[in-house]
Amino acid sequence: MLNYFDPNKDAFSRDMGTPARLSEKHIALTIDGVEISVPEGTSVLRAAALAGITIPKLCASDNLEAFGSCRLCAVEVEGRRGYPASCTTPVAEGMEVTTQTGKLAKLRRNIMELYISDHPLDCLTCPANGDCELQDMAGAVGLRQVRYGFDGANHLDAETDASNPYFSFDPSKCIVCSRCVRACEEVQGTFALTIDGRGFDSKVVAGQAENFMDSECVSCGACVQACPTSTLMEKSVIEQGVPEHSVVTTCAYCGVGCSFKAEMKGDQLVRMVPYKGGDANHGHSCVKGRFAFGYATHKDRIKAPMIRESINAPWREVSWEEAIGFAARRLKDTQAKYGRESIGGITSSRCTNEETFLVQKLIRAAFGNNNTDTCARVCHSPTGFGLKTTLGESAGTQTFDSVMKADTILVIGANPTDAHPVFASQMRRRLRQGATLIVADPRRIDLLKTPHGSKSMHLALKPGTNVALVNSLAHVVVAEGLEDKAFIESRCEPEAYQAWREFIKEERNSPEALEAETGVPAAQVREAARAYASVGNGAIYYGLGVTEHSQGSTMVMGIANLAMATGNLGREGVGVNPLRGQNNVQGSCDMGSFPHELPGYQHVADPAVRERFETVWRVKIDDEPGLRIPNMFDAAIAGTFKALYVQGEDIAQSDPNTQHVESALTSLDCLIVQDIFLNETAKYAHVLLPGSTFLEKNGTFTNAERRINRVRKVMSPVAGKEDWEVTQDLANALGYPMNYSHPSEIMDEIAQLTPTFTGVSYAKLDELGSIQWPCNDVYPNGTPTMHEVDFPIGKGHFAITEYVATEERTNRRYPLLLTTGRILSQYNVGAQTRRTENSQWHHEDVLEIHPSDAEMRGIREGDWLGIASRVGQTVLRCKISERMQPGVVYTTFHHPGSGANVITTDNSDWATNCPEYKVTAVQVEKVTRPSEWQKNFRHFDERQQAYLGQVTEASAIAFK
Amino acid sequence: MSDQQLQQLVKMVNQIAANQHGEEAQAAQRVATHLQKFWARSMKAQIIAYLDEGGAELTPLAREAVLRLKHERQAG
Repeated sequence: MLNYFDPNKDAFSRDMGTPARLSEKHIALTIDGVEISVPEGTSVLRAAALAGITIPKLCASDNLEAFGSCRLCAVEVEGRRGYPASCTTPVAEGMEVTTQTGKLAKLRRNIMELYISDHPLDCLTCPANGDCELQDMAGAVGLRQVRYGFDGANHLDAETDASNPYFSFDPSKCIVCSRCVRACEEVQGTFALTIDGRGFDSKVVAGQAENFMDSECVSCGACVQACPTSTLMEKSVIEQGVPEHSVVTTCAYCGVGCSFKAEMKGDQLVRMVPYKGGDANHGHSCVKGRFAFGYATHKDRIKAPMIRESINAPWREVSWEEAIGFAARRLKDTQAKYGRESIGGITSSRCTNEETFLVQKLIRAAFGNNNTDTCARVCHSPTGFGLKTTLGESAGTQTFDSVMKADTILVIGANPTDAHPVFASQMRRRLRQGATLIVADPRRIDLLKTPHGSKSMHLALKPGTNVALVNSLAHVVVAEGLEDKAFIESRCEPEAYQAWREFIKEERNSPEALEAETGVPAAQVREAARAYASVGNGAIYYGLGVTEHSQGSTMVMGIANLAMATGNLGREGVGVNPLRGQNNVQGSCDMGSFPHELPGYQHVADPAVRERFETVWRVKIDDEPGLRIPNMFDAAIAGTFKALYVQGEDIAQSDPNTQHVESALTSLDCLIVQDIFLNETAKYAHVLLPGSTFLEKNGTFTNAERRINRVRKVMSPVAGKEDWEVTQDLANALGYPMNYSHPSEIMDEIAQLTPTFTGVSYAKLDELGSIQWPCNDVYPNGTPTMHEVDFPIGKGHFAITEYVATEERTNRRYPLLLTTGRILSQYNVGAQTRRTENSQWHHEDVLEIHPSDAEMRGIREGDWLGIASRVGQTVLRCKISERMQPGVVYTTFHHPGSGANVITTDNSDWATNCPEYKVTAVQVEKVTRPSEWQKNFRHFDERQQAYLGQVTEASAIAFK
Repeated sequence: MSDQQLQQLVKMVNQIAANQHGEEAQAAQRVATHLQKFWARSMKAQIIAYLDEGGAELTPLAREAVLRLKHERQAG
C-alpha cells in the first residue's frame, strides 16, 4: 500500500510571510475588521496570514527575515501615512489595518507591471508553470497589460548557468527579490550568493561571479526552494514537469533525520523538498537528502534474488521462495554441523527500527543465539556504554533546537558541516547570534570558518589524546572553582564524585602537565574550560572522533563528567549530544541489535527481562551475550563461526583491516547479504536478497535527538518485498513463525516490550508528527530534554577516566598519524551517493597532508602516494592541505577501491571493540602504481561484476 | 580455537584491565563483571581455558579477573 499522507496540511503548506516570534506578550489588532492577537514582534503580514487573510507578496517568505524590497505587501494603517510594507511593519496594540483598497490595488498592479516588463512571457512553456509565485501574484493583482512594452533595456537574454548537476540558474527570469541570497545566508549560513551591481544592473551572482559549481555553493537547495520564479529550478522538474502529489517521509542519509516531502508523479519521484513541519530540520536540507536520490532507480539495483554454491561461481537468479529456502537450509545445515552458536546476523543502521527489531528477533528466536550486532559497533557503541554508565541512558540528551539556547558550543571530534549539514546550519545560526565555539579536533574543520560567527577557539589536539584533553578541561573546572556545586550535590552520587574529584585535580591531569601529550597549549585549554564552564549554557556535541579510539568509551564518560561537573545537563541549551553518523544508528541500538542487550538496552542475563520477551516470542532466549562483529570475524577465521546474515551493511568496505575482514568472509560456508546493490560484502555472498530503499517501504527511523520519524512508502519495492518481509520469510522458512502484515504491528510489539517506547504507535506518530523517546505513561508525548529531574539510574555517576595512550604509536618507520573522516557530498561507503551526480564534487578519496610533510617527502599536489601502515598498504592521490597539522594525514573511505580500511588496524575501544579508525601510524611516499591490494581488488571486482553480468544476460535470454 | 583468535582475546582482556584504576581487588572484579556482561559464552570459555593452561600473556590484573570469572561461572 502506497502512502498519501500529508499531515497538518494547513499549518505548514501556507507561507506565513515572515518567521514566527516567540514573545510571551501578545498584541491585539484588527486586520480588515478581523480581530487577532499575536506575539509581540510579529509582522502585520504574518498576523494577517494567521487571521486567514492573504496579502500579496514576492520578496517575503516565512523562513527568511523580512526584507521589504518588493513593496507588493503594502497595506494601509489607520492613522499612519502612506503604504507601509506589511512584512517589515511590526504589529502594534490597537492597530487597524486594511489590506485591500482601490489605491492599494493600483499600487500593487503598477509594481507587478514593472516586474513583468523585464520578464519573459513564456509562462506556458516555463518549468515553473503552475508553481510560480510571480504568475500567482500577476493573477492576484489583476495585471492585464504592460504599458512599458518590451523594447527597452532588459535582462531577457541573460545566459543560464547549468553547471550544478541538480538545478539550473536562469537569470532572465530573476526578479532580484534576494530570497536566494538571504536563504543562503540565513538558512544555510554559507553566504555563497550575493547581489552584484546597483539599480537596474543588480543581479544575483554566486561566489566571485563564478558559475555555481565553481563557487563555494554547497548545493543545499535552500535558494532553489526560496526562488519564487523558475530562476533557480530543479533540473528534475524542468525535465519531468510539476509533481502532482506528495508524501511526507524521512531522509535515509545522516543522523539528523530530515523530514522531506517526496513530490511525485504517479510512482515516479520528481523531487525531494524539505518539509517545513519536520521537527529536526524545519524545512532545510543538504545536497544528499535534497538531491541525491537517483540511486533508488539506478541500473545497478539488484532486482531479483540470487544464489550460488560458491563465491567463485556465477549467480543464479531464482524466485524468492527458492532463495529463502536455500538460505534457510544452509543456515540449518550449518547449525547441525557446527552447533547453535555457529551462525549470526548483522542489523543495519540504515534500515528501519521495525526491520532492525525483526532481524535481532530472528537471530535470538529463530537462530537460538545472541550473535547479533550492528554497524553501530564501528561508530557509536562507546556512546552506549559511556552514557549508560554515567547518565543511565544510551542517548543524547537534547533536541537539535536546544542549540539555539547554548552560549558556548563545544564540538569534539565531529565535523557537522560535512557529516550533519542541516544541523550545522542551525549551529551556525547560533554562532552568528553570538555563541562561542570551541572545536577540539586534529583538523581545522569548516565550522571554524563560519561567516559572521563570533568568538571561536581551535584545540588542535594530536589524534589519540582525547581523554588527556577532556581530563585537563575537567581539571581546570575543578581547580578554578568552576563546578556547579548545587547540581553535583543534588543530582550526582557523592562517593563517586569525591573519588573523581580527587583523581581529576591531581597535577598530572592539569593542562600544563598534559600539554606535551595533547599538543594543545595549556593556556588554550584553560581558556576553553572557562568558556564552557562559566557561561550560562554550555553544550557538547561530539562525533566519531570521540568514539573511534582505543579509549572511546572513556572519552564519552569524560564528556559526561564534564557536563555533570558544570551542571550542563537537564535543561535546554546544554547537554551531551552524540551526532550519529547514519540515519538510524540511535534506532538500531535502541532496537536490541547489540549481542548483550534486548530492545531498550535490557540485558539478556536478566531473567525478568528474558521472561517478558519469552512470553511474547514463545521461545527460550539464550542468557549469555553473543559475538560482536570483530569477534565474529575472529571466530570465522578460527573456523567456529560459519554463516552470517547481513542486512544493509557493507562490512567489507566499512570495517577496519580489510584484509582481515576479507579472510573472515571467505571462511564462511554461507553468507546471506540483503542489499540494494552488489556491495563489497555481497561479492563474498552465497545468497543475495534484493533490499528496498527508504522510498519503497514503511517504517520509522530514530535520529540523533531520539526522534522517531515515520518513513512512508512512495513507490513499490523493485523486487516486490520490503526488507522486513524478507526477514519474516526467512524466519518462517527456519520454522519460527512471524505473521506481521504491516510494520505498524512490529512497532506495537516494540512498544509492548520496550519500557521507553510503551506510548509509541503509528497513530500517535501521525498525530504528533514525530516523538522523542522516552514515550510512556510518564511522558505520553515524548521527552525533548532528558534528565530534567533525575537520571534513569537515579544519581549521575562520575567515572574515573584515566588516560591510557593507544598502542598505535608513530615510530621511525611509520612517522605519521592517519585519521579518517567524511565529506559533505558522499555518504559513508558511498553505495548510494557514488551512484548520483554527487560524485561531481568528490569522485575519488584523496590523502590530505600538511605542506611541510609533503615538502619533506618531495610530494606535490596530485601525486600518487603509497600509504603503508603495520597492516596494509594502499595508494591515493595527494592533496596538500593546511587544514592538517604537521604529522597528521587524513582521508575518507567513500570509494571501495581506495582501500582506506586496508591500512586501518584492528585496535579497538577497550570496552566495546569499536575500531580505532582515527589513529593509524603510517608512512607516505610517492609511488607510480596501485598497491597489491588494489590490484587484487580490481581483479576480484571485475570477476564478481562479471558473475552478476552473466545472470543479467541469462535472464534477458529467458525473457525473449 | 586459533592462535590468532586467542591472541585477540588476550589483547582484549589486557586492554580492559589496563583501563581500570584504583584498588586491585575492585578493579579485578570490574574486569570480571565486564567479561561476564559483554563477552560471548565461547570467548569466556576460551580465556578461562587459556588461564588454566598458564595464561602466560595475561597481565596480573587480567589474570586475577579471569580467575574471578572462572569462579563465578563455576559457582553460578
